[in-house]
Amino acid sequence: MPSTYAEDLARILPETVLALGACAALVADLLWRGRETRRVGWIALASIAASLLALLRQDPAPAIAFGMVTVDGFGALFKVFVAATLAVVVLFAASAREMPRHGAGEFYFLLLSAGVGAFFLVSTTNLLLLVLSLETLGLASYVLAGFAKGDRRSAEAALKYLVFGAAATGVMLFGLSILFGLTGTLEAREMAGILAGKAADPATGIALDRFRAAGPAVAIAVVLALVGFGYKVSAVPFHWWAPDVYEGAPTPVTTFLAVASKGAAFGALLRFGAALLPPGGGEGATAFSGKLGHLLALLSALTMTFGNLAAVRQNNLKRLLAYSSIAHAGYTLMGVAAMNPAGFEASVFYLFAYYFMNLGAFGAVIYYARSTGNEDIGSLRGLGWRAPFVSVCVVVFLISLVGIPPSIGFFGKYYLFMAAWDSGLGWLTVVAAANAVVSLFYYFRIAKALYLVPESEAVAYHRPVPALAALLGLLTVGTVGLGLFPKSILAACAESVRLIF
Amino acid sequence: MGWLSSIDVLSWIVFLPTFGALAILLLPSAAKRAIQRVAFGAALLAFALNLWVYLVPFDRTKGAMQLVTEANWIPGFDIFYRVGVDGISLPLLLLNTLLFVCAVPASFTIEKGVKGYFALFLLLETGVSGVFVSLDFFLFYVFWEVMLLPMYFLIGVWGGPRREYAAIKFFLYTLVGSVLMLVALVAVYLDAQPHTFSIPKLQELAQRGALDGRHLLENGILLGLPFQTWLFAFLFIGFAIKVPVFPFHTWLPDAHVEAPTPISVILAGILLKLGGYGMLRINFPLAPQAFHDAGTFLAVLGVINIVYGAFVAMAQTDFKKLVAYSSVSHMGYMLLGFAACTTWSVNGAMLQMLTHGVSSAMLFLIVGVVYDRAHHREIAKFGGLSQRMPLYFGLSTLGIFTSLGLPGLAGFVSEAMALAGSYERFPTFVMISVIGVVITAAFFLWTIQRVFLGPLNEKYATLPDISAREVVSQAPLAVLCVALGIFPVIVLNWQGPAIAEFLRLLAR
Repeated sequence: MPSTYAEDLARILPETVLALGACAALVADLLWRGRETRRVGWIALASIAASLLALLRQDPAPAIAFGMVTVDGFGALFKVFVAATLAVVVLFAASAREMPRHGAGEFYFLLLSAGVGAFFLVSTTNLLLLVLSLETLGLASYVLAGFAKGDRRSAEAALKYLVFGAAATGVMLFGLSILFGLTGTLEAREMAGILAGKAADPATGIALDRFRAAGPAVAIAVVLALVGFGYKVSAVPFHWWAPDVYEGAPTPVTTFLAVASKGAAFGALLRFGAALLPPGGGEGATAFSGKLGHLLALLSALTMTFGNLAAVRQNNLKRLLAYSSIAHAGYTLMGVAAMNPAGFEASVFYLFAYYFMNLGAFGAVIYYARSTGNEDIGSLRGLGWRAPFVSVCVVVFLISLVGIPPSIGFFGKYYLFMAAWDSGLGWLTVVAAANAVVSLFYYFRIAKALYLVPESEAVAYHRPVPALAALLGLLTVGTVGLGLFPKSILAACAESVRLIF
Repeated sequence: MGWLSSIDVLSWIVFLPTFGALAILLLPSAAKRAIQRVAFGAALLAFALNLWVYLVPFDRTKGAMQLVTEANWIPGFDIFYRVGVDGISLPLLLLNTLLFVCAVPASFTIEKGVKGYFALFLLLETGVSGVFVSLDFFLFYVFWEVMLLPMYFLIGVWGGPRREYAAIKFFLYTLVGSVLMLVALVAVYLDAQPHTFSIPKLQELAQRGALDGRHLLENGILLGLPFQTWLFAFLFIGFAIKVPVFPFHTWLPDAHVEAPTPISVILAGILLKLGGYGMLRINFPLAPQAFHDAGTFLAVLGVINIVYGAFVAMAQTDFKKLVAYSSVSHMGYMLLGFAACTTWSVNGAMLQMLTHGVSSAMLFLIVGVVYDRAHHREIAKFGGLSQRMPLYFGLSTLGIFTSLGLPGLAGFVSEAMALAGSYERFPTFVMISVIGVVITAAFFLWTIQRVFLGPLNEKYATLPDISAREVVSQAPLAVLCVALGIFPVIVLNWQGPAIAEFLRLLAR
């Protein structure tokens, strides 16, 4: 029975609430004549909370709204991920040093719009909606990256992001158009069915596996589509924008790009991959899926190695975290490269690990930048003794980023190693293990600056904003607690990945 | 529910220090005395429990694991919280808890960040104890890694002038070993049928030859080498870095010289033994074929450690560095004993871990005493200290003679057993090792002469003798130096059956 319009509308209630919240923030700021920045922030936070509530109250049974929006547990999990990041970004925006005093309305409007884009991105196998949501997310992000208007680095970041984004999405669109041409449908699930079916070869009349007949074209199309995803998750060689944009954009925006945008792009990649190349999708598809897995494994190895090696030489905290986030995209790709449910589960779990440790790291950057006036590692001299609470939290995030137990980052890495090796990618496990050693070196330069170097009187200590301190405390508890007892998240990951295969 | 209700006495030994650390975090930073008392109390309580386990519930006639507790930790991943002890791990666990008790009074001189220091110190104890009681490879790895962070900060924050370098060097070296172990851990798990992390089960599988990589690699061969060889190599490098075995030893002198005295005590006394323990518990039993093939190679490494370590120690001018290199030499006996793999040699090697744990800990405390007073450690600049510090001279002589292997003291028994037991298989290597024994005697006697005998250096005429606090730290170790020398059965009887079991696992 086809669902009614009202039912469909109810299914996209979380997105609707978020979009309405975005408009409300914009209008409210206009009405308050830009004088009530904090209250606009509350409106944004309230709409995120309402959207989360709507998400949690959603009917768990998978459904499709308007013929193209898939509403299921997998999407819900990633939407919770995105919404939880948005809430943290709003909090960060309230305490960041480089946020302009004016224009709160525009900022929250753009941020929540980007959130709407991310919401749709993780809930579709329809190529048209995929591109539209990717563009919604992208356009809002370009403007956000340049939000510190007076700052040249911020303007540069926006321009770079835009130019790279336009090129990458263009290439992706081209790839998707080939897929559409081959199959005559925009629905990735249907494409898989059509490609797996038999067709008569027009020249000889012999029945052929369609996938095999169209093999090279499909391969080109999928690889081109991969460029768009690679750009969004900042995988080598589509990562060039990341360091400059991460460094130049205001820190809350960087946080959004590094966590929410990347997480949503991974969600879309997993869903798209599972829909297009399901296990048992015919001989040709299986062979292709194996090859694609090797390509992704190669990308993964390159991405983590490049990210870690480049991070070693960085002195700016945000730039260091940018390279580190490239490296973590490489780790996450390990699970995607496995091309099976276990691997995808490991990737989803790793994204949650990444959420805790990276939000924590960016929160600390915001706090330290207010104390030292810049984002250099060198200026942290001995700050660990003066700001003990935040710094202890930072050490926990650092061990998690390296992947040392007991932390969620360790369990995530372990899970990825296991999944990759179980899919015949033993070499990738060894590469990733070697990368962990390299990453220790640069992450612990931060710990060294905080604790091992003698204190400098030049740095003023100020108490962290209570909300920020509480948030960092929560993230720390999550990093250690979920590292020791990951059961609940593991169950959610397994459940959600089961839905897309 | 399983988890909390089944926490038994071994878990208490492991986690009491953690609770101590949490309690310390709740105390105000200014309450130095209270922090020190909590730390001492937690360490002492863990030791008392451990001693009780050693004497009462532990059945020393059995070679199997005892006091085993098992609880499902991460369901669906075959990861269990499995702990238990046998005659190999229990004496080492006891040494560990004892050394932490001895190291607390030695830490009372720490002035900076006392709260952080003792919290990390107790966390370190949890990590080490946890490694000794783990019967699950995953749990073992977690505890193994828990040690890294406290150690990094303990050296890096409270260490000497080159502490930053020493701390990160220690961390990087150890992490290289750890990630190799992690790769081996994943491989072993995936290859075991059925999948398991249980160390006893994996040992049984390996003994039957079932851990041959056939479920993981084509024919169990990778790049022309069998899976067992790879597994052995990965695990061995991981543990060899910790021991440390030549050529992975270069982090040790740096870490020792820069670490504060109590941390050197822990490092030499117990952390090095973790490498040896890992070999006995995991490395050799999981890759028995490769172990037998590598026997001669291991013996050569052992001999290099013995002789090279001794020669380098002789060349040192810094008292602490000398003791550090003597550790490298002493760990060679252990490796040689393992490599020979006879009942005598393995018993000797195990005992060597314990006696060296006692004697090296004592020597580092001794170095700490003189460093606290003179603020340097240059051997050549002292002289005649025995005239002003008779009690200190007595204790130092005891420690040094134990370390150089004087008959009647602890070091002699273990070295003699390890060498005599190895003679059967490696007569030539044992002969060469004797050079190491002679050199060790030479540099230690020379040190006594330069530091304690001869004319008194007037600069140090006013040094006070060893204090009551320092005696408290050293007394238990001094007693053990003598006791283990005269009655080594207080350990041998405990470890014997477990070592017999170990040899059964390795039998071809």
